[in-house]
Amino acid sequence: MIAALMTKKEWITNNVRRKNLGAHVLGVTAFAGGHIAVHWLMPSGQVVQDNWDMHGLEFPSLTVELPEMAWDEREIHDVFGYRPQGHPDLRALVRNPRWPDEFYPMAGLNAPQKPPWREVAPNNPEQTVEGEGVTIMKVGPTHAGIIESGHFVFSIIGENILHLDLHLFQNHRGVEGQLQGRLIGSVAPLISRICGADTVSHQTNLAMAVEEMAGYQVPDEIKWQRILLLESERILSHLNDLAQIPAGVGFSVANQKALTMKERWQRGLTVIFGHRLLFDTVHPGKSLAMDTAALGALITQLQREWRPWRSLVQGHHGFQDRMKGVGMVRQSDALRFGGQGVVARASGLTFDARQLMPLYHGWHVDYASETSGDVSGRFKVRLDEVEASWRLMQGVLQRYQIHSALPFWEPPTDLIGQAATFSESPHGLNAHIVAVDRGKVIRYHVRSGTFRNWPLLSKAVAGNAVGDFPLINKSFELCYSCLDR
Amino acid sequence: MGKSIQVLQLRHVDAGSCNGCEQELTALGNRFYDMQHSGIDVVASPRHADGLVVTGPVTDTMKRPLMQDWDAVPEPKWLIALGDCAAGCGVFQGAYACYSGVASVRPPDLVIMGCPPLPQDILRQITVWRKTLD
Ligand code: SF4
Repeated sequence: MIAALMTKKEWITNNVRRKNLGAHVLGVTAFAGGHIAVHWLMPSGQVVQDNWDMHGLEFPSLTVELPEMAWDEREIHDVFGYRPQGHPDLRALVRNPRWPDEFYPMAGLNAPQKPPWREVAPNNPEQTVEGEGVTIMKVGPTHAGIIESGHFVFSIIGENILHLDLHLFQNHRGVEGQLQGRLIGSVAPLISRICGADTVSHQTNLAMAVEEMAGYQVPDEIKWQRILLLESERILSHLNDLAQIPAGVGFSVANQKALTMKERWQRGLTVIFGHRLLFDTVHPGKSLAMDTAALGALITQLQREWRPWRSLVQGHHGFQDRMKGVGMVRQSDALRFGGQGVVARASGLTFDARQLMPLYHGWHVDYASETSGDVSGRFKVRLDEVEASWRLMQGVLQRYQIHSALPFWEPPTDLIGQAATFSESPHGLNAHIVAVDRGKVIRYHVRSGTFRNWPLLSKAVAGNAVGDFPLINKSFELCYSCLDR
Repeated sequence: MGKSIQVLQLRHVDAGSCNGCEQELTALGNRFYDMQHSGIDVVASPRHADGLVVTGPVTDTMKRPLMQDWDAVPEPKWLIALGDCAAGCGVFQGAYACYSGVASVRPPDLVIMGCPPLPQDILRQITVWRKTLD
């Protein structure tokens, strides 16, 4: 493909036009050798790509016009050393201050080596509010519970949060670097473990990328099993988050009962799919042996437990009041910052990537959406989505009667090509941008739903009491691992 | 070891996990496993903990906070590596921003393997190991 050279202005107007047409950004991906690609998921379901070839180390920033790109561009600046011209805030995001100056792990074609780190270096600069009576409160990176690591810098006045500056990427391992140069056929265990909460979604993206590059038509049996797995994961993750929200306000009964349902669901899934968190369950061109009758029975059992629990939490006025008006995300912010998943759907947006996934064509899904934008909205969306997922699974099970593993297809070992795949994970639109040459990964970029939602958490907590932070945070329940990689 | 403990109180530190190990550690608190009943608890501060339970391969960035937490635990104290990553045989081995497990900070007193380990295995291994402490 020969692309005419674009001017900086065209680059910006092109991308802004796509956003205005209602497209969702899948990823802003940098490649070694000075190339930037923005992949957009158009409302038609088509994936289109805008390309920018750099001369030197700079490229025009899109952040002023499209603030949702702010973190993507900061990440590129940190790990490639490419400079987004005109970016309003180029503080380090991923980059550790102890990395050596010339260390840009992703700038080369091969897996980067671990360099000697500086012993001491000042922390990355913080963004705080200054003024009389303003206190700075720092939390983390380690926390007072079983939580992933992240560092939060609050500017507070009295009880109220003025601003939250997020210092995440404490768990940055360098997964995308690790993937460079690996055989695409060998990366599945690593992709499966990018995130323990969205693993099926990540695995599905990988499988779809391989299948797309090979031009393989996926048989219905495999598609149906993938829907069952994706929905099983959504329920698992939502049950977990639905347990955490009451825990955030000390509503122990609701918390324990939801954790019990999660455990029962997990035990059932282990019998059916072989893993409590559904690791290593999706493979290109293959399906697992599964007992569909057992899955149907498991759903019925859980539904029986679910109904009284739903009445309990919805009928508890104290709990409902506690969630109302707390941690508001305005619809305009959700749209501007490219919010995804439950967070966006609780603020009046209706996008769910399943609407555009070919995998779900022909299936009826009841999509949830609320307009309140607060903790109660996010709680309610999850309630509705759990029930909708069960109904969808029951629909699939009516048609799906395969009981044995069917080794349909082996992917070729000399795969060449590029693919941008996406799915709706429990935390929103999850995209993989994959480039492979003769079976080896030359670039693997992961952009999960939580990446888009973290900046919105900052917006949601501003103006709330410090004491409500745990509740608001739990209502987002964003995974760090998906983000940090 | 000198300190006879009735309840083993642990502080959790995530040093680069995929959150799978956290989910299973959290599951120990549900009523199927009820770790408190077995005399195990996860506490809020290293200062009143008997030790640390660490998940993840230890990222470069988390190494220092992990050591600070370790230093804050009063003696005698114990270090538990939970999951393959922390044990030094996980999938993130060799990535440019992480070490290969808890042993790169300090040799752990107990290593619980699995990706993630099953909750009942975590419970059983801690229980068996504790008996060796008295
Ligand atoms: S051992 Fe497995 S489950 Fe635990 S953090 Fe590592 S990859 Fe995740």
